[in-house]
Amino acid sequence: MTSEPLVLGFDTSAAHCAAALLRGDEVLTTRLEEMTRGQAERLMPLLQEVLSEADASWEDLDALGVGIGPGNFTGIRIAVSAARGLALGLDIPAVGVNGFEARKADGSLPAVPAPRDQVYAALPGEAPRLMPRQEAEDAARGAGLAFAPEASPPGIAEAIARIASVRFATATEPPAPLYLRAADAAPSSDVAPTLLDD
Amino acid sequence: MTKTLTILGLESSCDDTAAAVVRQTEGARPEVLSSIVFGQTELHSAFGGVVPEIAARAHAEKLDICVRDALAEADLTLKDMDAVAVTAGPGLIGGVMSGVMCAKGIAAATGLPLVGVNHLAGHALTPRLTDGIAYPYLMLLVSGGHCQYLLVRGPEDFTRLGGTIDDAPGEAFDKTARLLGLPQPGGPAVQAEAEGGDPKRFRFPRPLLDRPDCNLSFSGLKTALMRMRDQIAAEKGGLTRQDRADLCAGFQAAVVDTLAEKTRRAIRLYMDENPAQPTVAVAGGVAANTAIRAALETVCAEAGAAFTAPPLRLCTDNAAMIAYAGMERFRAGARDGLDLTARPRWPLDTASPALIGSGRKGAKA
Repeated sequence: MTSEPLVLGFDTSAAHCAAALLRGDEVLTTRLEEMTRGQAERLMPLLQEVLSEADASWEDLDALGVGIGPGNFTGIRIAVSAARGLALGLDIPAVGVNGFEARKADGSLPAVPAPRDQVYAALPGEAPRLMPRQEAEDAARGAGLAFAPEASPPGIAEAIARIASVRFATATEPPAPLYLRAADAAPSSDVAPTLLDD
Repeated sequence: MTKTLTILGLESSCDDTAAAVVRQTEGARPEVLSSIVFGQTELHSAFGGVVPEIAARAHAEKLDICVRDALAEADLTLKDMDAVAVTAGPGLIGGVMSGVMCAKGIAAATGLPLVGVNHLAGHALTPRLTDGIAYPYLMLLVSGGHCQYLLVRGPEDFTRLGGTIDDAPGEAFDKTARLLGLPQPGGPAVQAEAEGGDPKRFRFPRPLLDRPDCNLSFSGLKTALMRMRDQIAAEKGGLTRQDRADLCAGFQAAVVDTLAEKTRRAIRLYMDENPAQPTVAVAGGVAANTAIRAALETVCAEAGAAFTAPPLRLCTDNAAMIAYAGMERFRAGARDGLDLTARPRWPLDTASPALIGSGRKGAKA
């Protein structure tokens, strides 16, 4: 059957460039390259390689899946911006997949490592947020869940592509980064002078 | 055979998200078919300046929408384009990177060639887009982030005659507005106040006029203004409206005098090129200041050079200038790969010594 949808998933939310190409349920190609920098230069050539390894081209794609974070702010934007440009150029849907969904496994608490001994995690019944690693670990233990946050899990792009292939037909919103942390910015320290009436 | 090119441009290096479509038949005047700019002023207003992370976040979710709008306004589709041009630096790297990635996505998807453009080249070539002026011309680029005199000899041939060694004048206007409780952006607010003020009451420094070069400095001017403000406030317990207007007028006069004198010197250097039709062009948001513009016109008239300033919407950050600069590069055969790098620092003139930024990371702009 050739009518199964062809979906390309990718992610640059941490120190990696990850991509996977799926035809229906079947993984045609998958790659995870670790790198601390250079994702912006590497991502598009990597996606082209993934396509050509499977003898596919951009026009063959039915949908895109992209990791929206949480994770490295710049990294998230690299993949999301590329996905939005590709979706516009190919006129196909791009589905944003968050890092918790992409790491979902039975019996474990999905969590994404963050700087300074913190993690992004969604504790049972709570909205995802940034918290000390210890807090997430304790909560996982209390709920009888495994806890092993990984920044670059081997199957991340494949998971993103799988989720996208289920959702793309009904996706309406373009992918948007999931930061879970406000931008660092301090209000202006300049204080306006007192104005005297003339 | 004359070749007509239609170029899509993207710009996201500071706090404006922009996309545009520019078309030109070789030998004819270029046409701006659309130019969409989404500003972010309100996102940054509480912070007294552009916050890079806030800017980057906004760009990432606006760029593709901006491109759709630009295509719709031009009544064209991506199939009608000949290339995609994108600002690849210098600027706030998060925003530049979002623009570069979005452009790469469009280029990969459509097979269109990708052309990376230096944001400063976009400004510097705008007089050719708007007025078709010939090389070589003298360009004063004066904005919130930049201030430099460029001798423009070709689409990739720039000599920097001088520039600021610290802040850009636009930054100084913004800072002045903040110090005096005026709204942002500071340029229009300070100019409006200055109109009712006495420029002679407060004498502010004219830095570097004692040096023969074309370099400028605006950092000390901000400090001088703050000291004067504090001195008045200490005496009276605050500022009267007249004090504020006089401070604005004195500040603006110092900027005008400095730019006029350094422009005079830059024109002298430019005239050594023996240009057939000597032309001085100005671009950047500060070029909108009427006092500065009037002084520059006078200096040019004295020197026998024509003065041109693109309309404001093409003077401040926009993507039509990026599409046009990309077109000049494209006509010259330039193509970039999908591994194009976004650069926070990218001087137009790599031969002249750096004015700002040094060491491992090199010159800023």
